[in-house]
Amino acid sequence: MASSVANIILILSIFFSFLSNLFFFKKKIKLSIHTFNLSSILIISSFFLLIFYFSTSNFSISTVYENSHTLKPFFYKISGTWGNHEGSLLLFILIVGLYGTLFSLIYNKNITFKSWVIFFQNNIYLIFLIFLIVKSNPFDLIIPTPKEGLGLNPILQDPLLVFHPPFLYLGYVGFSLTLSLVLAALVTRQLDSTWAKISWPWVMSSWVFLTIGITLGSVWAYYELGWGGYWFWDPVENASLMPWLAGTALIHSLIVLKSKNKMQNWTALLAILTFSLSLLGTFLVRSGILNSVHAFANDPDRGIFILVIIFFITTVSLLIHTFYSSNTSNNKNLFFSKESFLNINNLFLLFFLFIILLGTVYPIILSALNESISIGPDYYNTILAPFIFIFLIAMSIGPILKWSQNIGLKDIYYLLIVFFISIILSSLIIIFSKRNELILYLGLASSLVLIFTILFEIYKSSYKISIINLSRLSSHLGVGVFILSVFLNSYFSKTKDFEIQIGETKKFDNVSLNFTNQNIFKINNYLEMRTDFEILDNNKIFILNPSIRRYFQPDQITSETSIKPTLMSNHYLVINFPDLNSKVIGARYYFNFFIHGIWFGLILIIFGGILSVFKKRI
Amino acid sequence: MNSKVKKRLYFFLVSIITILVIGKFIFDSLKINSVYFFSPTDLKNTTEIPNGVIRIGGMVKNKSLKKVGNQYSFIVTDFKNEILVNYNGIKPNLFEEGQGAVVEGKLNTRTNLVATKILAKHDENYMPKEVADALKKTKNWKKNYGK
Repeated sequence: MASSVANIILILSIFFSFLSNLFFFKKKIKLSIHTFNLSSILIISSFFLLIFYFSTSNFSISTVYENSHTLKPFFYKISGTWGNHEGSLLLFILIVGLYGTLFSLIYNKNITFKSWVIFFQNNIYLIFLIFLIVKSNPFDLIIPTPKEGLGLNPILQDPLLVFHPPFLYLGYVGFSLTLSLVLAALVTRQLDSTWAKISWPWVMSSWVFLTIGITLGSVWAYYELGWGGYWFWDPVENASLMPWLAGTALIHSLIVLKSKNKMQNWTALLAILTFSLSLLGTFLVRSGILNSVHAFANDPDRGIFILVIIFFITTVSLLIHTFYSSNTSNNKNLFFSKESFLNINNLFLLFFLFIILLGTVYPIILSALNESISIGPDYYNTILAPFIFIFLIAMSIGPILKWSQNIGLKDIYYLLIVFFISIILSSLIIIFSKRNELILYLGLASSLVLIFTILFEIYKSSYKISIINLSRLSSHLGVGVFILSVFLNSYFSKTKDFEIQIGETKKFDNVSLNFTNQNIFKINNYLEMRTDFEILDNNKIFILNPSIRRYFQPDQITSETSIKPTLMSNHYLVINFPDLNSKVIGARYYFNFFIHGIWFGLILIIFGGILSVFKKRI
Repeated sequence: MNSKVKKRLYFFLVSIITILVIGKFIFDSLKINSVYFFSPTDLKNTTEIPNGVIRIGGMVKNKSLKKVGNQYSFIVTDFKNEILVNYNGIKPNLFEEGQGAVVEGKLNTRTNLVATKILAKHDENYMPKEVADALKKTKNWKKNYGK
């Protein structure tokens, strides 16, 4: 019963989606848009239906059976809806539809253009809807109905992870609308500055959502995985970073298009690239080709299906691009002008993207040749570092330049002052910390240049900043703070593994850890062994309570970290399951320096992004 | 040659050289940071013992896990060949005898690895892909070894 209601809704929505195409070809534009919206509303209701089945533990639906359990807290029953392959694909489609529907409600100027946008959006939507029904129907029936479900992986039972996938999807999938906007503009030949202004809020909001999604994932990995870090260059993380980089390049080329009506074809290509990389990310993460917590489905058919979809969407987009792209004159830019530095920005971002793509895809290609390798994080760190320095310097200079003009003498002076201050300050840090490392020095100096240029800009404008500037200043300052913190964190953090019994004390440098107590609690769907550690750091005492949980369904053990933030750093402790016949537990202590700066930088970047969604375009 | 052509030629040459230098840099870095995976049987069959950091994987042999002081030792097997692993560190929660595991470290001899890292698993049923492939090669793969 439950299954058939849902399946009828799915079939109706696919029918209306087809109908929308039919109306479009018959030139019944309004009907085409309405039927698309109807289909999109049906998908939204089917998603709510799935949430309802999850929250009522309806195990006649196989997706619910495989990913839920009656003992699970209600909150996680709901989030289980998108904590699996089928449900998350339904969410994916819902968001493609939602973006299309929102666009059709908000944009009302040029009806032909609008109908083309909806046409392209509808076809992206339709392709995935077919995939859903054929290969990953979330409403498949299971007979006979099981009494109890299999449960959700405990490390996914976390408040942040409830929000991480929807935000990430709102970003990834939001770029589908960007693609539709570009294709529609190409076909109707209106890829110009007016188009850029229309598209701006849509591109920016996808970018903001993606940034928030990545940040949430990173914060989650930091406290949940117990590895002490926030980024591991894991292929799955890279999968989300690649569309982010392409999207960031897109935003910057969009600025040129908006202001100078240049770089039309390039912007269109970036939009195609961004969505293709979003799809590639989906493929890498969901196909099971990578070992990770994200890989739900190990069904190779699904992987191939997604690969075919990527190939199809990208090829069709590129064909449209080739047929409809206009011959824009290739006028030369002065080197020290705003346009030229925005070009440099694109060049660097795409270079970073290429490095990450290579490191992510190379092992996969080799594995097809029966060789199994993995790429260590040093690959990314050593290659990216030197280019990041140049990038940060260019990022400091670029925004103070003017359109189509060379740099002014005044600006050169003030840049020199900033360089001077940054070099002095980073030299001081190097001298006092006694870490004579060139990479650290360059990292500190270049990020300080960026930070001080922005502070100088704010000072120069005597704090009268328009909202347009504020968004850019905030995001760029965020990047400076972020990179500075990354360098400080990676050079001044410490970690120590040890084994300890109740009553024992361990000392490292200025910190001593005393294991005072342990208790066992029974909570909802798990048993928890909570430990008390007294930490003495430079005459300050505080308590950390790392714990181990044993979940009942599925039967699995997880470690919960305990973190004490101080002004400059985090004390971070995680314990492991003790050997059954000994009282000794394994523990890992991290001293994470300046980690707040990393989160703060990301918040500034996101804040700037949010502002720019709403800022008025001139 | 007029100056315009000359300028272009220089530009072209400089770009080519830059691309080659950066390309070489990337290629070397990729090579240095590649960690190769071996099954116990692969290691037996290699002509040259790899001397850098490698990963090995297979099943942790039953009753092979021992602990002396801070030092763990266990045997990783693909049911055809075995490797003795020594590991000094914290044992991950989901690391148990009779289960699949991937460890990273350097070889001491052809059949002895000094591990620096035991790769964490995310869930109970999960079988590392490399291990599954290694077991399939020696025809010791059973369906109930994970999803």
